[in-house]
Amino acid sequence: MHEQIARYLGKLQRHGLIEGPGDAALYGLDDEILTNAGRVPGTMRELFALLNINSLIIARPGPLFRYVIGHLCLREPGLICPRDCESLTFIHDIPVVESLDPRRTAQALNRRKGCIVGGELVVTTGTVSLEQAFISLSSILFATFVKFFADALNGLHGYGEPVPRGMLDALPGLLARAEPRSSAEPLPERAPEGEDEILRAMDQAGKAVVNARLVDSFFGNISYRDGGAVYISQTGSSLDELPGYIDRVPLDGSSTCGITSSSELTAHVKTYELTGDNAILHGHPRFSVIMSMFGHPLPFGDRRSIGGVPVVSGEVGAGARGLVHTLPEAMREFHGAIVSGHGAFASCTGSFREAFTRLMDMETLCYRTCCALVREKLG
Amino acid sequence: MREQERQLRALFVDLRTRETRREELSPFVTRVFLGGRGIGAWVMGSCPTVHPLDPDAPLVFSTGLLTGSRVPSSSRMVVSAFSPLTGTVCSASVGGRLGLSMRRSGIDLIRVAGRAEGPVVLVIDDGRVGFEQGDIPADEPLSGVFGRLEGAGWSAAAVGRAAFQGCRYASVMVDGAFASGRGGLGLVMASKNLRALRVRGTGTAKAVDPEGEEKARTDILRLFDASPAIMGASGLRHFGTSALVDLMASRRMMPTANFRRTYFPGYRSFCASAIREQEAPKRYACPGCPIACKGKGRAGIPEFETLSHFGALNENADLGAIIEANRICNEAGFDTITAASTIACLAEIRGVRYAGRELVDKVREIASLTGDGPLLQLGSAELARRMGRPELSMSVKALEMPAYDPRGAYGMALAYGTSTRGACHLRAYPVSHEILRKPVATDRFSFSGKARIIKISEDLNAVIDSLGACKFAFFGASLEEYAKGFSSVTGIEADTQDLLSFGNTISSLERHINSLRGFRREHDLLPERFFTEPGSSGAGIEVPPIDRKAFEEALDRYYRIRGCSPDGTFPQDKAREIQSCMSR
Repeated sequence: MHEQIARYLGKLQRHGLIEGPGDAALYGLDDEILTNAGRVPGTMRELFALLNINSLIIARPGPLFRYVIGHLCLREPGLICPRDCESLTFIHDIPVVESLDPRRTAQALNRRKGCIVGGELVVTTGTVSLEQAFISLSSILFATFVKFFADALNGLHGYGEPVPRGMLDALPGLLARAEPRSSAEPLPERAPEGEDEILRAMDQAGKAVVNARLVDSFFGNISYRDGGAVYISQTGSSLDELPGYIDRVPLDGSSTCGITSSSELTAHVKTYELTGDNAILHGHPRFSVIMSMFGHPLPFGDRRSIGGVPVVSGEVGAGARGLVHTLPEAMREFHGAIVSGHGAFASCTGSFREAFTRLMDMETLCYRTCCALVREKLG
Repeated sequence: MREQERQLRALFVDLRTRETRREELSPFVTRVFLGGRGIGAWVMGSCPTVHPLDPDAPLVFSTGLLTGSRVPSSSRMVVSAFSPLTGTVCSASVGGRLGLSMRRSGIDLIRVAGRAEGPVVLVIDDGRVGFEQGDIPADEPLSGVFGRLEGAGWSAAAVGRAAFQGCRYASVMVDGAFASGRGGLGLVMASKNLRALRVRGTGTAKAVDPEGEEKARTDILRLFDASPAIMGASGLRHFGTSALVDLMASRRMMPTANFRRTYFPGYRSFCASAIREQEAPKRYACPGCPIACKGKGRAGIPEFETLSHFGALNENADLGAIIEANRICNEAGFDTITAASTIACLAEIRGVRYAGRELVDKVREIASLTGDGPLLQLGSAELARRMGRPELSMSVKALEMPAYDPRGAYGMALAYGTSTRGACHLRAYPVSHEILRKPVATDRFSFSGKARIIKISEDLNAVIDSLGACKFAFFGASLEEYAKGFSSVTGIEADTQDLLSFGNTISSLERHINSLRGFRREHDLLPERFFTEPGSSGAGIEVPPIDRKAFEEALDRYYRIRGCSPDGTFPQDKAREIQSCMSR
């Protein structure tokens, strides 16, 4: 458990979710509570006693996230309702409680996987491992960030509730602080050959996507087609820790080992069929998602574009309204597309290099478009 | 209590006198025990030490509080009794339409006691209760029996010839294709001379808050779509549970040759794609379930456990023989897992292999009580004991292990030990996180954190079984979404924590009943083989024997977390607390 605590504390910092190790207390419980916080406070013991959980994280996120969360708590006291696809599917809504009172916090955590406390702390839990609590924390920060900017942008342009003056004043400064990374170490140009090289290339590409903050580690997926098989990251795998978590799925249907593969396996396979490409990266770049939610909600089957990049609708997976029905066709033309409220996909032939560059470019484009739309109204 | 809160409606049947009585159970009992497995445990708790085949021993058919609702994949029901195979409290969840018919008939629980003078069929027609002569030939195949019992709007449960011949692992079959399979509940039913239960119900089951029910339904369906294990291209929706064959083989945890090895090179002959190619099965579903995991080709398609145990466990690569063995089990009504495991045990004792035609012959001998049938129908624990090799029964509390080798998943190892009905994969279902990565992946070769995970999972699965929900649904959704559905359907305000605390009460009550029946720590241990013999390492996966000390330490932690003493029983104050739930 100590090992898990150290691992996820490190990830919180590396992913820019907290500033320093003192900003998060992680707790793990088997038959006794272990933590990085030195001793276990009485409130935590009480909270654990009120919940059937084995892990809990209390984090004070970085200043940008804190501002965003604080503002949303003022606008939607009691319950924050994000609209992005991942939140809609997995976290539904985010309860807000005033203080770390064990009973009230437990009440909120009995309803949902995480909550916001006192307008600045995020508390999340897991019943299986700290990984659950980490994923929920990462999801809540992603969801609140996206909601804040999407609401602001839509409000500013008359697509949503008017934006309060304070929020408007802060917007340019916040955007400047949220600028995505625009450069990264390029990936190798040479296409991988053979299984070992493919797995290495996927590992490298996964790390690059996470380091470039194009995804918050556990979301997104990555695949590579090699002849009659697709290598794809497993469901819920961490893109910066892929070795051992990649499935080889034969395309002739001769094996069901893909049962542990990413939920977007079918969309990847169809994209390969339509594009002739052999490498796909899928991330959740924040401004790509924010910009995809600008304007009226996109009806299923419709499409629009941001600077030529297609934006389609579609839910996670292969259901009747799944992105498998919309994304591959869009990918055929541009080898890159954004799924509204969800994330961005990019594909290419050869190595992952071109897809990675495209994903970065799409995010930069969306960020600049977002800034331009703010400037247009605020000057 | 809210005015509209649902309460469980019980029917008490005495087969000796043919008296019946209806009762609405108290709000407290409804709220805490929920229906299904929970209410079964509540009934068993009223007579905790009765012999399984005593005429007064109860047999319970119960629906869950969600059965009949629009909450997806929640139309299951549960059969409960004391097991003649294990001596433990026992319940088995089953699909089909019977639960829905009971619910629509206005009955959530049927408690059967007494022994009828001759074979009878209990008939419930839209709430009206009656009896018919059960003069169906005892050796009639169950497909024929169901042909007689079913008809427009009727649903049925029945026992086959195995039960009337005294098979200790006879099952209760439902609607012809679904088995309440484990633990010999069919033998209990036959011991009461209850040949069958027929139910027709045309009522409706309206939610207290239809809008909330619809919201929960939408959330759950969205999660199903996002789950590779459920709706993915290789998932249950497309291949049923046979989808697990390739996975278990690739993880080197497919029990082979009576658990002497954990990899069977011939697995490709009975994997999902082989079945699709040879049988072209059509998929079908329990009511209200979009997963549709059941398959039917020329005959019923065996479930994963059956494929693996009639396949790898018996070193048999003949798919036709597996399908035929499965058909015979279903026609005579006995548990495929125990049957396959008992045959594998006999084969090891004799130093032979029963595969292909010989395997089918052994299964037929169980069904017809010929040849080795009288020995095989005892189950592997008793068979091995009688043959002087008790260590070769791969069972816990005399219930045979399913098709997940514990050396390949340590949470599963612990869960086999602590399960209240013996070696059962479903009581805590660690396959979900150790193999299928849901809700997140855990290290399958470590006991770290597993004691608490297993305790919480046992409570969670007690809730799932008590609500009438399907475990497969939880490869996508979670109790968070089902709790919303539960409150909307029943009007009972309960969040995740409330439901888990009910699950804790149910799991703890079952353990307490077992302790009153003499079960102790030594009954929670695995067969020696798993601590001394390695599995089949390969493909970069090392499968060593389980570290006994680490297992026992995890068991100690589990007991502390569950509130038990080191011997696995509850201390007096805790026992009183559990019993107090019974008396309210």
